[in-house]
Amino acid sequence: MGFSAEGKQFLLPEEALYLMECGNLQVFHQDLPLSIQDGYEAFLSSDSVSLQQYQVFGHLKRLGYVVHRFDPSSEPSPYARQLSLPRSRDRGRRQLKRKRSPSPAPTSRSDSYKTAAASQAEEMEEEDKLPESHLVASAAPQTSSSGAAGEVQARTWWPAEVPERQAGQRSAPGSQRWDFSSICFPDLGSAGRLAPLDASLLPGGVTPGVCDVAPWMRRINLRKVKMSPKEEERERRQRRRDVNKDKEVQRCRNWAEYHKLLERRQAKRQGRPAHLWSGEVQPLHDPTRPISTGEFRPDPRIFSSRLQKWMSLCLLRLKGSEEWRICFNVYQPDSVADFKKSNPGKPYARMCVCSFDGPVPDLRVIKQLSFQSGDVPVVYAAVDHGDISFYTFKDFQLPRDVYP
Amino acid sequence: MEAELQPQEERSPAPVVGLSLCDSAPLLWRLQDLKAVRSEGLVGALLGSLPRTPRQNVRLGRPLLLLPEEERLLGERGGAAALPAQNQEAAGGELQQRYTEEQQRSFEEQSVLALEDRKSALVRAMTSSSGSDPASDEALQHRLLDLEQNFSFPRSALAVQLSTARAGLSHCPEARAFLEADWPIRAQRCPRREARFQVFRDLRGRGFFLTSAGKFGGDFLVYPGDPLRFHAHFIAICLALDESVCLLDVLCAARLGSNVKKTVLLCSPAPDGPVRYTSLQWSGMV
Repeated sequence: MGFSAEGKQFLLPEEALYLMECGNLQVFHQDLPLSIQDGYEAFLSSDSVSLQQYQVFGHLKRLGYVVHRFDPSSEPSPYARQLSLPRSRDRGRRQLKRKRSPSPAPTSRSDSYKTAAASQAEEMEEEDKLPESHLVASAAPQTSSSGAAGEVQARTWWPAEVPERQAGQRSAPGSQRWDFSSICFPDLGSAGRLAPLDASLLPGGVTPGVCDVAPWMRRINLRKVKMSPKEEERERRQRRRDVNKDKEVQRCRNWAEYHKLLERRQAKRQGRPAHLWSGEVQPLHDPTRPISTGEFRPDPRIFSSRLQKWMSLCLLRLKGSEEWRICFNVYQPDSVADFKKSNPGKPYARMCVCSFDGPVPDLRVIKQLSFQSGDVPVVYAAVDHGDISFYTFKDFQLPRDVYP
Repeated sequence: MEAELQPQEERSPAPVVGLSLCDSAPLLWRLQDLKAVRSEGLVGALLGSLPRTPRQNVRLGRPLLLLPEEERLLGERGGAAALPAQNQEAAGGELQQRYTEEQQRSFEEQSVLALEDRKSALVRAMTSSSGSDPASDEALQHRLLDLEQNFSFPRSALAVQLSTARAGLSHCPEARAFLEADWPIRAQRCPRREARFQVFRDLRGRGFFLTSAGKFGGDFLVYPGDPLRFHAHFIAICLALDESVCLLDVLCAARLGSNVKKTVLLCSPAPDGPVRYTSLQWSGMV
């Protein structure tokens, strides 16, 4: 619980009030300890945490859950989730620490390669096993984490919001993001020379020369790999076909493109040409299989998934209403799931607090909140003068049988 | 309504209860206020952690949240007053001085008690290990004397008490007990709220205890006596007389009531005074 900013540990108002009620914390104001009544009146209001939200918070904490505030901007985009990008919460602070060291140490560099964003060129660099002196010359402009030279580069990678955090706002450690469009990695796999360094980035007195990698590249991949007889058999079979001679394969620049090429070829083989099946709008029925109009029964599942996709596109354009918003992330206690403050992981549920006096959430609100939450279920906590009831809406697939 | 309140007033003047607003919700903090309100038959709902066992949800502690109808009833009979806000009384310096004096007094008391505790532990340890012979008795006396001379109670071991209600109020309770009964009636004037209040006042006047019934799909849960001793008998749903209700809603309410073994009461305050009640009970097919 809590967060640290500017070297001091801070507590959120609801956390402080909960600890006061448990008898674990004393809050002083003007040298006098606050009573619980003072705490309620000072910390709970409609701007920060309302009384109903605090009731839900306290209820869940007393049951043993870990409850954090929900920050919509710290949710990873669907693309980032797809890549399973590691959550870069502490990345910024770690980077700043390394900047203080005067020269890039060889040991830290291997860490920097592991922690920098995964990319094709990175993996190739590691596999090429270039000697360290060349890594110093070539890697400094690319990676921000090694040495003082990285300082200027580092700034451009993060969105501008990071340094301008207001004191009143809660610091959002998750909002530091890599700006992939401005990071460029050299293609060391292709033969030839690397671009010379910009002298302004290096400490004074060091003049960069041109880097000739040819003699080093000749020395890599010289070790013989011992394979089992089954693997040798597989190698022999593959060598016979020699996939590398294929022109289309040569045109692929990385593994992702090669996989796409394989998929395309397989789809063509199965009679599903790409121009029909890989767009936003797909045929409801395979045109290669003739069927009469009377027998045509579209798959209801396609409708529901199309409808969902269309609705989510619509919801992206509609502005959210202020009345309904997700308040908390709820994580299961430590013994059940592995929760770490630096890496909380996926929450167990997200809470939206409402009351029986207020309106029932309509379909638009439900869809909006569940879209915002991603794959974590949204639980509605209805507070009724001391009683809390939890409701959740589950997506439901209609049964598939359609009878004439 | 006046006739029903007369007998109570003749016995003793009803105490004035101190309310304080937190996020526009009326809360009761002082113990005597809670007792007074319960003795009047208003139940309310406890919200806070129980100080002795804070990490459970079965029994909660102060503050007590009042229903809007309860708050309005208290206000109408002149029994509610606003508690003074923080720092409105004596200058902060006086409070601080009182606080440090109290801390010092508590520290001294606790150090005496801690010394007693250590002495008795020492005596227990020494007499249990050896038998009772004069040599060991003398050693014991020596040890006790040493302990008394060298014992110091560290300041960090002081047990402090966090008060639930505002500290300034409990310092001189008799002076603070007299509050001006000037609580404003804050109810929103909408017909639904008005109907609810009429029903609440009527049922309360008949001696029933009422709590909120959101999770049963109704307005109030009606108990024949104190909720700690009885189960609820009725779920009260308040409707205006001229309001038309869809039959499906009536069916929902009846089904719910029969599932939880309570009678559903449809209550409508008539404009000429008394409240009309209609009960729904699920019986078999005739």
